[in-house]
Amino acid sequence: MREVSFGQYYPSGSKVHALDARVKLLLTIAFIVMVFLVKSLYAYIAVAAFILLVTLVSRVPVLKVLKSIKAIIFIVIIMSLINLFANAEGKVLWSWWILTISEGGIITAINLALRLIFLVMGTSLLTYTTTPMELTDGMESLMYPLKLIKVPTHDIAIIMSIALRFIPILMEEVDKIMMAQKARGACFDRGGVLKRAKALLPVLIPLFVSAFRRADELALALDARCYNATPNRTKYKQAKLGWGDLVATLVTGVFITLVVAVNNNFWGLY
Amino acid sequence: MQIKVENLKYTYSPKTPFEKVALDDISFTINDGDTIGIIGSTGSGKSTLCQHFNALIRISHGKIYVGEWELHAKKLNLGALRQAVGMLFQYPEYQLFADTVKEDVAFGPINFGKSKEDADILARYALELVGLDYDEIKDKSPFELSGGQKRRTAIAGIIASRPEVLVLDEPTAGLDPQGKKEILDLVTELKKSYVKTVIMISHNMDEIAEYCNRVIVLNDSKLLYDTTPRELFSDKEKLSLTGLEVPHAVRVKNLLEARGIVLQGTPLTSKEFVELFKGGAPCAK
Repeated sequence: MREVSFGQYYPSGSKVHALDARVKLLLTIAFIVMVFLVKSLYAYIAVAAFILLVTLVSRVPVLKVLKSIKAIIFIVIIMSLINLFANAEGKVLWSWWILTISEGGIITAINLALRLIFLVMGTSLLTYTTTPMELTDGMESLMYPLKLIKVPTHDIAIIMSIALRFIPILMEEVDKIMMAQKARGACFDRGGVLKRAKALLPVLIPLFVSAFRRADELALALDARCYNATPNRTKYKQAKLGWGDLVATLVTGVFITLVVAVNNNFWGLY
Repeated sequence: MQIKVENLKYTYSPKTPFEKVALDDISFTINDGDTIGIIGSTGSGKSTLCQHFNALIRISHGKIYVGEWELHAKKLNLGALRQAVGMLFQYPEYQLFADTVKEDVAFGPINFGKSKEDADILARYALELVGLDYDEIKDKSPFELSGGQKRRTAIAGIIASRPEVLVLDEPTAGLDPQGKKEILDLVTELKKSYVKTVIMISHNMDEIAEYCNRVIVLNDSKLLYDTTPRELFSDKEKLSLTGLEVPHAVRVKNLLEARGIVLQGTPLTSKEFVELFKGGAPCAK
């Protein structure tokens, strides 16, 4: 199977992997909020240190976490460029035609780039250390309040987990079909964009056919086992909060406090 | 075309936690004219090995020679190689895609540089060879065919390119006994014309015993035996190592033996068994 570096589960059996998915989800949300509050360079260093710490504890290779940036690098560059030219506050450093670069522009561009990068690194750490199943179970559990206003949270969760479960299956299927067509002389990496897109047709059509077939089969199998989303379903894996979750929450809490303090120059560092 | 495999190794997802050795130091030679069976339990590396023969998987360690081609070389004329080494995947009907049966079967020949007219002729010949009525079926959508017809269409799509070597990955999986026999008889028929060598993966030992002159047993990514079916199936100790079943004829012979009726020799097919039973006087205890 091909390698997918974006947010694929990376088992290493670390303490971070063992945390409750709900706790990890909430902490990730807290982390995202924190990243968007940060303004000063020192605070960014603290955020980077925090990510490094979590990465080391989770025993996911640092390089793998860094690689997750690759997926968004274009967005980062484009957004930074737009911000660089759009913000004209402060001293003007360079100007040509309608383009001007000012101090304010540079600062917002750097801010934005760092925020996006830290955002993706933080969330990819979540998916590296949490299986899709744990994640959806966690989300279902966190969505509990919505159940009170008759939102079908369980249905949403099962749809999500089925969708996630099917990604690797369909990718394997793509590989298989591509190989079969290659064996018949198909070529996917030659010619212009149009030719390449057309060359994918012999892969996409069988893929769609098989996706529908699988969906039908799955629906039948669920029916055959009398699956329904009754309110009192039990879980095979019961999520329980443990001491590790408390420690993780405390550590993250301390870090967030620290970052906010540094950000607001609480100790007069700069 | 001779196929020579030397010290072939292959690892899936190397240097990750998902690392898995699929082939470990495999060496053997397939001669022109062989019908060779590759057997082994699920996950023993059979499919991975076969996908090397037409460079769908590029070699990471070891060497493979297919006739003139050196598959371990950096530069390789993939088109010519894949034309010469046809490969039928498991459940080949799932690869059908075109609007009409004719187009689907002609897909291979056109990719390998045949003109549209030539490809149509090849498609017609291939469809007739697999036992389908060309005029009736050529303009139908492949998706409206029955299961058996789909499988035949897919096979026609491979043999339309006129390969010299045919690699079959469980060609009879999911077919009824009659369909199985028809597919294998077709393979026998093809071997009388342009197909010189057949490499066949199968879990059905009766098929291996009846149609293959050689058999390669993979176990845990390693090559365990390279022998003839008769030798393999007459050696109970060898077989017990692999956890493989034996052909029905051998099983009946072994059961008789356990009850004290010893037959000399190993019958591979029911026909051979009957001959043996009639000829060799069973010596009761």
